Amino acid sequence: MLKKIKRISKMHRIFIAQDLKKLMEYKVDFLTGMFGFMVYQTINLLFLWIIFSGIPALHGWSYDEIIFIYGFSLLPKAIDHLFFDNLWSVGYWLVAKGDFDKYLTKPLNPFFTVLVEKFCVDAAGEFIVGIALIAVTIGKVSIQWSVMNVLLFILILPCATLIYTGIKTITASIAFWTKRSGHITHAFYLMNDFAKYPTSIYNDVIRNVITYIIPFAFTAFYPASYFLTGENPLFNLGGTVIAAAVLMTIGMLIWNKGVKSYESAGS
Amino acid sequence: MIYVENIRKEFKKTIKQPGLLGSVKSLFNPKTEKVVAVDDISFHVPKGEILGFIGPNGAGKSTVIKMLTGILTPSAGLCTINGKNPQKNRKSYVKEIGVVFGQRTQLWWDLPLCETYAVLKEIYEVEDSAYKRKMDLLNEVLDLQDFIKSPVRTLSLGQRMRADIAASLLHSPKVLFLDEPTIGLDVVVKDNIRRAIAKINEEEQTTVILTTHDLSDIELLSKRIVMIDKGKNVFDGTVDELKKNYGQMRELHFELAGDSSLESLAYKEKFGFSDDDINIKREGVKATVRFNSDIVPVGDMLSYTLSGVHISDISVKDADIEEIIRRLYKKEVSADA
Repeated sequence: MLKKIKRISKMHRIFIAQDLKKLMEYKVDFLTGMFGFMVYQTINLLFLWIIFSGIPALHGWSYDEIIFIYGFSLLPKAIDHLFFDNLWSVGYWLVAKGDFDKYLTKPLNPFFTVLVEKFCVDAAGEFIVGIALIAVTIGKVSIQWSVMNVLLFILILPCATLIYTGIKTITASIAFWTKRSGHITHAFYLMNDFAKYPTSIYNDVIRNVITYIIPFAFTAFYPASYFLTGENPLFNLGGTVIAAAVLMTIGMLIWNKGVKSYESAGS
Repeated sequence: MIYVENIRKEFKKTIKQPGLLGSVKSLFNPKTEKVVAVDDISFHVPKGEILGFIGPNGAGKSTVIKMLTGILTPSAGLCTINGKNPQKNRKSYVKEIGVVFGQRTQLWWDLPLCETYAVLKEIYEVEDSAYKRKMDLLNEVLDLQDFIKSPVRTLSLGQRMRADIAASLLHSPKVLFLDEPTIGLDVVVKDNIRRAIAKINEEEQTTVILTTHDLSDIELLSKRIVMIDKGKNVFDGTVDELKKNYGQMRELHFELAGDSSLESLAYKEKFGFSDDDINIKREGVKATVRFNSDIVPVGDMLSYTLSGVHISDISVKDADIEEIIRRLYKKEVSADA
């Protein structure tokens, strides 16, 4: 078991290194990308500041609390984006063009290989913005930073991340039957925007959908509201854990069934 | 070594009417039909053999190879290598095989070639010493040193193919699948690659399954051929058997002397050949007559030709495998003959 974990993390490191080397291989592209990225993130921050300066309080949540929730929502999204972005390619072209072949002829788990093959440095921006928003509000909101809560905070992030990854896995796997499913992933993924704000601002339909069906609310608002109020840990945090477990289980089942139905492409 | 038993693959295909309207219709009311790409194919390859796996385009070759390499799951039937089944234990199965798809590359496109080998070494968990030994051997037979530090995207097709073959052999697989390894290459590179395959096969007893449309590959490398068409096995035997069974075609080459003309030779009328049994070509004074020696013995053809025209030079050539296969593809000879 330990040996297996060691091997997995070693392969992960190697793949990340390969991807970073690939980035450096094209220097102009890399540097331009970095520059554009800085500009984008600066504008993004400005834009957020404009939006939030317009809404002092919302359905019982203070200005700072809303920014905290918003910042929190960026963290799992960024982690998923950083490590597991390659799932998009499955739905967009890997299956349709038959490029998925290469994962099946290697003695590595195809799901693992797809996940680790790409390392999306862009995501660092979302992560930094998320951390920044949390940092500026942390003194102004009433969070009990007990050891327990710090631990819970650290543990809930990977679970919230897996909600993203699970949804992407499920929708990407559809491509094994339909050949392309990138737009399906996109349609579901867009729902994450709802998670950035308190669910109480939505009507019942949307609230139920993002809580029970496409549970993006558990990636941000629910866990964040636990840290802000200390209420309902069972629902707010437990729900995140359960949603992550259920989505990843369904995702893996559909994925594994899908790989068996994979039809490759003529050559 | 490799056992393929009654393997079968069906695909579901959506039938679309032409045009945008047809596409819209099939979006809401899709009609599907079952297409049998591979229909009940069985064969066995012993260790160390180079098997030529051939068939016309769309015969199902690639589908069979993809089932044998664990990419596709057969609809029915079983394939095993060393008793291992790709559907049951894919990981240990693929460790025993190497795969090269001529039309795709498994190399890291943006990085120097040596980076690919370094990663493959880790993926297949090759020991340092074995890796070094292997790289030396591959360097020797495939001449990689000139471009091993170049990014893969800058390699020529010939270099890329050599690099791909080397990549598939790093972990010393027991079976090597080569799907059109010489496609689009010039004669020198083709030769180079054939020699490398032969050498690896000899030194490591690697079993090779080779699909190709270049029949010289087959003639130079493999003793045995499996030919499929429309998803069915149409021939399984040695190259010699193929020649013996279907090689009735002979070629008569001669040079006309003086002002002789070919028109005075009426092979068709004289011997009653059908169009498929005879083919006459002429370039200047040189003429080539290809004919079916089952219908008319070589001797009779020779004496008729010599009596009809003045000839300065004449020779008879054996049927080449290309001709036989051309006829087999066109279904001119019956498979169960």
